[in-house]
Amino acid sequence: MRRPLEIKAEEASVRSVVSLTSALETLSSMQIAKTKNKVLISNQFFDEVWNIYKQIRVDVLFNFGRTPEEKPIDKELMILITAKAGLSGDIDQRLIRKFLEHYDEAKNDVLVVGHHGALKLKQAHVDHNYYFELPEKDYINVNPLMDIIRRYAKSRIFYQNYISLSQQEIKDVDLSEVVSSKGRVADLSTISDDLVSEKNYIFEPSSYQVAAYLENSILRLTISQFIYDSRLAQVASRFKAMSAAKERSMETANELHTEFNRAKRLQVDTRLKESLAGLKKIRAGGAS
Amino acid sequence: MAEDAPPPEAVAAEAEEAPEAAKNGKTSMPVKVYAPFQVYFEGEALSVSAVNETGPFDILPKHHNFLCMLVPCVLKIQPVEGAEKSIKIHRALMHVKADRVVVFMDV
Repeated sequence: MRRPLEIKAEEASVRSVVSLTSALETLSSMQIAKTKNKVLISNQFFDEVWNIYKQIRVDVLFNFGRTPEEKPIDKELMILITAKAGLSGDIDQRLIRKFLEHYDEAKNDVLVVGHHGALKLKQAHVDHNYYFELPEKDYINVNPLMDIIRRYAKSRIFYQNYISLSQQEIKDVDLSEVVSSKGRVADLSTISDDLVSEKNYIFEPSSYQVAAYLENSILRLTISQFIYDSRLAQVASRFKAMSAAKERSMETANELHTEFNRAKRLQVDTRLKESLAGLKKIRAGGAS
Repeated sequence: MAEDAPPPEAVAAEAEEAPEAAKNGKTSMPVKVYAPFQVYFEGEALSVSAVNETGPFDILPKHHNFLCMLVPCVLKIQPVEGAEKSIKIHRALMHVKADRVVVFMDV
């Protein structure tokens, strides 16, 4: 058995891990509340814009804001939204795994948002074509991302979706499909009163220009929404990982404490035995 | 990805008060100016002034349904109560429907 002092030192270091994970857990929990609140507020905004888009566009064609003359790159752009750094559980690993199921080097180009995803891709021996840092502030300028997306015939986005504190899932969607489906009206008979058309609206500068602008806006909002969703899922995953790490380190610390007590008792017992043996020897010497 | 898109800032409200006659005589309309994470103005107003590609324009109560893109400008709102509010705009969409004005910032 190890010496009690050795065990005590190890226990102290595990206890500091407990404190660290506990602090990170609290921090993640605060971040979740903050991010969730922001996502809820922004969703109201997005829904209202979506609603106008839905009323103005009853066709399902979505052209990424390209003019008909522009020839897109005949490849599918894979967009991965990942965490800025580690300590976010296994969520990025799961996203990369899902991406690799779809990835074909000849048919796909890769755009990564987030440093951790870029690292994981490197580990999987996949080179990315474009890279962006994951924005941390509320206002995200997604224009550089949109400029790249516009060049491709198709784009698929892999992102992290928050379901609950204990559950986050990886989703992948075709970007044009998701925008079209949001603009699609399920039942045309229900839109007659709300339809935004030249008959009941004034458009400035023109209806075509407003529709084209909205198409760009919707793409911009869709990408922003995916980034906000991913951020929320990442902090929830971090919280989950930190809770698990805290629990494990607490168990280890408790086990080490028991081991320390045993070692200490053993040490006392051994000394007692040695003292008794010495005493016996002295008594035996005195008798002779 | 750039993060530095500056949030639209509310410019210091001008000191001019709405004329008393306008306050009492005119009908008002609900106006909301907001971005995904911030509401810049929400309340009853007498008029909204902005600029689009065609030029400067005003929205008064009972305006026809209207949808337009705003160019960078200072949006001016004359609330029923209080001084005129000015909000600097970089990119926005204005929607007027059934006497309600909504300005979506940063879209």
